[in-house]
Amino acid sequence: MLAQVLVSSITAGAVYALIALGFVLIYKGTGVVHFGYGDQVTFGAYLVLIAQALIGLPFWPAVVVALVASVLLGALIYGGLMWPLRNASLLAQIIASLAMGTVLREFVRAYMGPSAWPFPFLLSPAPISVFGILVVPANLAIVGVSLGVLALLFLLFERTFHGKAIMAACDNRIGASLIGVQVSMVFLAIWILSSVLATVAGVLVAPLLTLSPDMGLIGIKGFTAAVLGGFNSLPGAVIGGIVLGVLEALAGTYVSSALKDMISYGILIAVVLVRPQGLLGVLAMKKV
Amino acid sequence: MAGRALIVAIAVAAFFIAPHALAEFHLFQICLVAGTALVVLGLIVVTGFAGQISLAQAAFVALGGYGSAILAARWGIPLWAGVPIVSIGAFVVGFVLGQMTLRVSGHYLALVTLAVTAIVQIALIYSDNVTGGAAGMPVPAFEIFGLTLSTGGQLYYVIVPATAMLFLAVHHLNHSHYGRALAAIRQSETAAELMGLNVLRYKAAAFGASGFLGAFGGGLLAPLSTYLDPAQFGITQSVYFLAVAVVGGMMSPLGALVGSIVFVLLPDFLQAFQTYLGLVFALLLLGFIVLRPEGLAGLRLPKGIVAALPRLGGERR
Repeated sequence: MLAQVLVSSITAGAVYALIALGFVLIYKGTGVVHFGYGDQVTFGAYLVLIAQALIGLPFWPAVVVALVASVLLGALIYGGLMWPLRNASLLAQIIASLAMGTVLREFVRAYMGPSAWPFPFLLSPAPISVFGILVVPANLAIVGVSLGVLALLFLLFERTFHGKAIMAACDNRIGASLIGVQVSMVFLAIWILSSVLATVAGVLVAPLLTLSPDMGLIGIKGFTAAVLGGFNSLPGAVIGGIVLGVLEALAGTYVSSALKDMISYGILIAVVLVRPQGLLGVLAMKKV
Repeated sequence: MAGRALIVAIAVAAFFIAPHALAEFHLFQICLVAGTALVVLGLIVVTGFAGQISLAQAAFVALGGYGSAILAARWGIPLWAGVPIVSIGAFVVGFVLGQMTLRVSGHYLALVTLAVTAIVQIALIYSDNVTGGAAGMPVPAFEIFGLTLSTGGQLYYVIVPATAMLFLAVHHLNHSHYGRALAAIRQSETAAELMGLNVLRYKAAAFGASGFLGAFGGGLLAPLSTYLDPAQFGITQSVYFLAVAVVGGMMSPLGALVGSIVFVLLPDFLQAFQTYLGLVFALLLLGFIVLRPEGLAGLRLPKGIVAALPRLGGERR
C-alpha cells in the first residue's frame, strides 16, 4: 500500500518538478518570477489541439507546430512585455506576468470553450506490474523528461560558456554588457527556451490532468515546488516537486482529501515565512 | 470652500433623486459598482499606498460575505450589525497575517497571499455543515428598522452611503500622517525605518485595512447577489480585483471607483461578445500595466477638475 502510494505520487511530483524547472529557469535567467507560467503550460497543450483542429494535422506534426508556435510566443512575451518593462517596478512586472497568464487562459476559454478536452497519451496509459507495484509507462515518461530537462539545464548553466554568460547577465546587467555579453539576446533566449519547456510540460501533463482552461492553476503547485527547493536551484526544483508530490499523496491517503488539497499552499506559506531560501537555495541579501 | 459645499450638495441631491429617475436595473448596477469599489479600495490602500502586492482580496471578500451570512443564519445577528463586526474581524486577521507575512516582499508576498486565497477557498468548500460546501449557501435578507431590503433599489440606500463614508475615511487617512508614512515606506523602507517608523506595523495596518474594506465590500455585495458560491472567491477573483485597481489607477481612491465603473458597465456594452468578456478584461489589465501603469484616474484632466475630484473621494456617483 505505502509503496504503491509512493510510486504513484512520484508522477505527480515529477509534474510539479517540470513546471518548477520552468519557473527556476526564468528566474535564474532573467530575474523575473513568471506568475503566468502555469497558464503557459496549459496553452502549450492547447496549441497542439488548435494545430490539429485548425490545420487538420495528425498528432505528432501538431506537436511540432505547437513547439514552433511556442518559440514565437516566447519571443513575443519578451519583445512585447518584458523588454518594455525591464526598468519597471517589481510590482508592475509581477502584475504583467499575471496579466499575461490571464490573457492566455481567457483566450483559450473564448476560443476553445470552457469545458475539458480529451488529450492523447504519448505512451501507453495501461499499468504494468513490476514486483507487485503498478507502474504506468506514460507516467514514467514524465519522470524521465523531468530528469532529462534537469540534466540539460544543469549542464547549460554550470558547464558551458553560454550558461555562465546567462548567469552574468542576470546578476549584473550593466557589468555583463560591458564585458561583451548581449544581455537582450540572452534574455530572449531564456524566454524562448522556457516557453518551449512549457509546451513540452503541457503535452506531457495534459493527459494526466483534465485539460481545461483552468488547468493552469497547477502552476501554484509548481511554485510551491520551486520555493521548497530554493527558487534559484535547478536540482532543488526537482527535489521540491517530488517531496511535494509525496507529501500530498501521504496526506490524501492517511489524513483527508481536504488536507491533500491544502497542504501545498500550507507548505508554500510555511517555507516563505520560516526558510525563504528553501531546501537547497542560497539567501540573497537585499542591497540598499 | 463654497465650491466644495456646492459639490457636496449636488452629490446629496443626486443621491436622493437617482432612485426616482433610474430603473431598478441601473440602481442594482450602482450598488454593484459601489460594493466592488469598496473591495478595490482595500487593494489600493495596501498595494497602491503601501506598495505591498496582495492577492488575498478575494479571501477577505469571502470572509465578509460568508461571515456575516453565517452570523445571521446561525446566531440571528442582523446583517447591518454583522457586516461591520465581521469587517473588524477581518481587520484583525489582516493585521496579524500582515505581521507574519510582510517580512517578505515582492514576489514572495504575492505567492503567500495567493496561497491564503486558495486555502480560504478550499476551507469554504470542505466545511459543508457551516458554509454549504461546494454548493454554496443563500444569504439571509438585509433587515433594518423592521424593513426588509432585497432589491438593488432598496439596498441602494445602505450600500451607497456606506461606500461614500468609507471612501471619505480612506481619503482623510491618506492625507494624515498615516498616509504620509505609507508613502514613505513605499518609496524606501530603509529610509522610513531610519526616520523611526515602525515599518512592519504600518504595513500590517495597511493589510488590515485592506481586509476591513474587502470584507465590508463582500458583506454588502452578498445580499445583493443573494447567494454565495465558493467558486466566486478564488485566485481568479483576486486577479480580477487587481485588474480593476490597475485599470482604474492605483494611486488614488478615485481609481477604485473609475475601475469599478468600467468593469461593471463594460459587460453591458459587450453583450454581443459575452464569450470574449474574460479576454477583454485580461487584455485591459495587460494593456494598462504596460502602456499606462498609472491607470485611468491618472489621466491628465483640465486642472480645475483635477483639483475638485480627489477631494470628493467617494461622494461622486
